[in-house]
Amino acid sequence: MDNKFSIDICGIPMKNPVMVASGTFSFGEEYAKFYDINKLGAIVTKGLTLEPKTGNPPPRIYETPAGILNSIGLENPGVEAFITEEWPHLSKLSIPVIANIDGDTVEDYHKIAWRLSSLEGLAALEVNISCPNVEKGGMAFGQDPESAREVIKAVREATHLPVIAKLSPNVTSVQKIAEAAVSAGADAISLINTLLGMAIDINKKKPVFHRTFAGLSGPAVKPIALRMVWEVYKAVKVPIIGMGGITSWQDAVEFILAGASAVAVGTASFVDPLTPLHIIAGFKQYLADQGIKSIGELIGAAHPF
Amino acid sequence: MSKKSPIYSSHENQIYLLDSKIEINEQLSADIYHMVLNCPEIAATAKPGQFIHIRCSDGLSPLLRRPISIAMADIDTGTIEIIYRVVGEGTKILARKKKGETLDIMGPLGKGFPIPEGIKFPAIVGGGIGVAPLLFLAKAINTANKRETAGIIFAGFSSDDETFGTFFMEDCGFKLEICTDDGSRGYKGFPTDLLEKYINDRKIENDTASVNSSKEIIGPMSPHVEIKAGGKNAIDIIYACGPKPLLAKVKSIAAGAGIPACLSLEERMACGVGACLGCAVKSAEGGYMKVCKDGPVFEASQVEI
Repeated sequence: MDNKFSIDICGIPMKNPVMVASGTFSFGEEYAKFYDINKLGAIVTKGLTLEPKTGNPPPRIYETPAGILNSIGLENPGVEAFITEEWPHLSKLSIPVIANIDGDTVEDYHKIAWRLSSLEGLAALEVNISCPNVEKGGMAFGQDPESAREVIKAVREATHLPVIAKLSPNVTSVQKIAEAAVSAGADAISLINTLLGMAIDINKKKPVFHRTFAGLSGPAVKPIALRMVWEVYKAVKVPIIGMGGITSWQDAVEFILAGASAVAVGTASFVDPLTPLHIIAGFKQYLADQGIKSIGELIGAAHPF
Repeated sequence: MSKKSPIYSSHENQIYLLDSKIEINEQLSADIYHMVLNCPEIAATAKPGQFIHIRCSDGLSPLLRRPISIAMADIDTGTIEIIYRVVGEGTKILARKKKGETLDIMGPLGKGFPIPEGIKFPAIVGGGIGVAPLLFLAKAINTANKRETAGIIFAGFSSDDETFGTFFMEDCGFKLEICTDDGSRGYKGFPTDLLEKYINDRKIENDTASVNSSKEIIGPMSPHVEIKAGGKNAIDIIYACGPKPLLAKVKSIAAGAGIPACLSLEERMACGVGACLGCAVKSAEGGYMKVCKDGPVFEASQVEI
């Protein structure tokens, strides 16, 4: 392990700070066709719900300038199918696997966290209180400090695993939500999830998506994500996993300088599956060129204090 | 950009991510272009109905790759061909590419057309740019079943100017029936009108006594598909690619006549490999299947369109 590049995030040891974001990597098998995914810092699974979820009707994807709107709707096989069908291959990986979890109710979050905690080798739970594409739960929990606190508290009580709260950018004050999550026991914060957006079909004169609004991701959202990482770094003391439009190693370095301890690549994997590897290589070279002894020196280094 | 190393899959399909050299990029009609790409790896393994995912721009907009079906693959010359219509930013950029430039492509992707061993007289139905992958299919059927009459093709175009591939289909031993929207060539109307008429004229008698098991030669097919023998030149399987209304009509005609049909579907997609869950199509059994990974070719009864 390259010590310069390794990082420990709330007890999750990572050989490098480059992860892949939930919902963009399924359960790893698709991208394992392109490279050895053990080269990543960690992987985060597709969001899991207690029961299987079929997701939203098509269209689910719409391209925007330097971005994508998606309305997938958390399609996933449910926690039991995850345990029997996906965990056997995921548990063989040599890198940390983080399960992203989602629920319609606080009780759902508690149940799924408890169920997943029995998996030997699972590194952490990322609690999705920020999905904008579902009727119930999701983003609604992440838009109010009180409900964010309630969900994180329920998960905290259900598990011994590190708890990472994944926050929504669709709020007035992301710091307040982050503070609430940490006060309820979150060990780390990941941000951002997608930004609420929409598109209109000018021929049909109707919104493109059945749910009208959809989640915007990709390079277009990077400046917003970076700003939010900066804000949350000032507000809480727990590690931050930064994501939102990261497509290059330079983007990744910016997020670390803004206060992230690790970064996650999302949409960019769709464009070039090898993006995480390019980022790892470029980032490593940057550390060498700058004579930086440990990535810890860089975290939040752009802040004036 | 230097050529990337070919990527080998650890699973059933090999997927390559590589820079391929453009050998020909010519305009066939106002909006339709024909491109020949040098990529021996994909040429050697591609099956009819599969597609490649093309990165049209090196920059961030348009961000996503464009899925384009493979219109021909030649193992001897190490080339694949695509025929594409300029509809948006991505294909506009593609149309401007010159011979000798390289193109970042991923493929072959998806599941192609099955060619069961028992088939005697297949019908191919294509509409517009949807005719492109059917050329490769016609060649494969011709190779698989060396017969004087390989089957029948109903091909529809908007006008005579926009027709392509017709000589090639006849060379493959297919009886060709052309129609155009404006009547400038062949029958004025839709190819599904011609298919319906053909079936009605022959009043196919399904002889259940002579059911052949459908041992596959190329591609998968669900086990319950049965190829039934009819009278002389009675259609025993239908293949279709084209606009959604055409596919829906083919599905209904095929179901009414008791003939199995394989439809090539299209949906907006991001990753092309099954990770983003964007290209959903409603499954007949409930839930969604993914056009990129479960298709793009589906047996008609599998999907709701």
